[in-house]
Amino acid sequence: MAAEEVGQAPHGEGVVGQLSDWVNDHIRTVLLGPSLVALFVVFIYPATMLLWLSLQNTRGIGETFEPAYNYGRIFSDPTFWNAVEKTLIYSTGSLVLSVGAGLAIALALNKVLDSRVRNTYSTLILISWAVPLSIVGVTWRWMFNGQLGVVNKLLIDLGILQSSYSWLGNSLSAMVVVILADSWSRIPFAAVVLLAGLQSIPQEMYDAAKMDGATTLQTFRHVTLPYLRPSFFVAGLITWMFAFRAFAIPFSTTGGGPGGATETLAVYIHRFGIQLLDYGFASAVSVFLVGVTLIVATGYVYFVLEQIEEIEV
Amino acid sequence: MAGPEFTVEQYRRRQRLWDVLESRYVVHLVLFLAVFFIVSPLIWQLLTSFKTSQAVLDLTYLPVDPTLAAYERALIDRGFWRAVVNSVLIASASTVIVMILGTPAGYVFSRFRFPFDNAVFVFVLFTRLFPPIGLVTPYYRIVTTFGLLNTKTGIVIANVYLWLPLVIYIMRNFFITIPQALDEAARVDGCTKVQAFRYVVFPVVLPGFAAGTILTFLYSWREFLFAFTVSTDLNSMTIPVATFLFVGDAGIDWAAMAAAAIVAVIPSALVVIFFQRYIVVGLTGGLKG
Repeated sequence: MAAEEVGQAPHGEGVVGQLSDWVNDHIRTVLLGPSLVALFVVFIYPATMLLWLSLQNTRGIGETFEPAYNYGRIFSDPTFWNAVEKTLIYSTGSLVLSVGAGLAIALALNKVLDSRVRNTYSTLILISWAVPLSIVGVTWRWMFNGQLGVVNKLLIDLGILQSSYSWLGNSLSAMVVVILADSWSRIPFAAVVLLAGLQSIPQEMYDAAKMDGATTLQTFRHVTLPYLRPSFFVAGLITWMFAFRAFAIPFSTTGGGPGGATETLAVYIHRFGIQLLDYGFASAVSVFLVGVTLIVATGYVYFVLEQIEEIEV
Repeated sequence: MAGPEFTVEQYRRRQRLWDVLESRYVVHLVLFLAVFFIVSPLIWQLLTSFKTSQAVLDLTYLPVDPTLAAYERALIDRGFWRAVVNSVLIASASTVIVMILGTPAGYVFSRFRFPFDNAVFVFVLFTRLFPPIGLVTPYYRIVTTFGLLNTKTGIVIANVYLWLPLVIYIMRNFFITIPQALDEAARVDGCTKVQAFRYVVFPVVLPGFAAGTILTFLYSWREFLFAFTVSTDLNSMTIPVATFLFVGDAGIDWAAMAAAAIVAVIPSALVVIFFQRYIVVGLTGGLKG
């Protein structure tokens, strides 16, 4: 682009000068090369190995090349489909809660005019996003503990429950708890993205709507929502995609239990790949997860590329 | 126009409902509830961490005879202070490496055309969107093969894979907001391309660079999957992993676990409190094209 054509740096002398000239002539390689080499080593290498492993039978001792073995097992194994189902419930639940609560928070924050008050609220709300993921899990595990948890204690003291309820020992309530924990960690992100979207709406649009006598609901429907659509798309897509692959939170809250009731695909992969050392099968499941992500990610990449066009115009 | 048939009275009634919903009281009520939902689990951990083991069993709300014994059990008796040190070292090293590699790369994507540039950029985006759990199984094998199991290096390398693509992307977005005229002016004044980047463009992008640094540090700090896979030994495990290890105990020492959790959360909370604005910039900067 233009930056390369303008001007001529003075040519240096000696070894240092020559080196500096070489760097100047190969600026893209020098600045970008190291990153690409690093990504090649830390990403391409293991990703290739993943594909290779998925074609190996690693169930017994050693490895034998049996391309169809693991993929065949996937489709006949009911525990795999259980994990798919749980992952869909988990990620959709977290998506609805995170984006819903995030929207409510963003709309409310946008109404707070005093920036100091607004920043105080944002800071407090952001904290759960920064909490290490396993700490999220053990915290919710502790609160919902059957014998000593504070939730049971509160509900009994308030007279809502007669006796302790085993939240994490029951399939349905365990799923509710992991979804709550996951949303707890994801709400701040959705709120921040949606708030940025709200703040990008020009004030004139609101003024014009007001002049035309629009009700608040009409303004929301015809001004706020259309402008917010890209932020909604991004917040929703990212939240869903990252909840779909969630490992740390379900793993540290319930370990996938009871009886696989909260076993997301990531927990399932970890169980086979790391705990049972059945690399081949875990890799095949990973390839499935990557495939689903790839389809969703393509939508996202298109969105980003569209924005690039806008910038270059 | 045959729009919805509103009488003035209906219109006023509807609007009155919305005026209530939009009032200061409702706005602050929503925010108060949100803050309560976000903060109360951490407050509960904090209270638990000051309890005696007996108070935990007695199910008291507030710590009776508040004590730091739980911190002593977690940090000293179990030696988890070393996990805190490991966490600081690993997150810092990962952040430095990722920012040094990622910032110039983001600059190149924001400024230069080169063969397959869009394809390379999509590749970077794709590595960012690739589910990390998919790499865990092969990574575990690679780490074992190269003798990096239970080492800090093994965790740092994983962090480079996890956060480098994100940083390249964020930094590119920040660089794009800086007019190319700035680079060109520097070149006309006789700067080499490296000097134009280092002395002219970089200082302008410094707030974005700070946002990237803070974000990478926090992401590395809270990471669990790879840290847990690579190491569960005191020489190299991180404090989030150490805290999780309580879960495997026969009778969980909840107070000590809460103490470890609080220790793991304090740096996160401090960074959020002091750098809230940068985090918001970083989180939204990683999204726009």
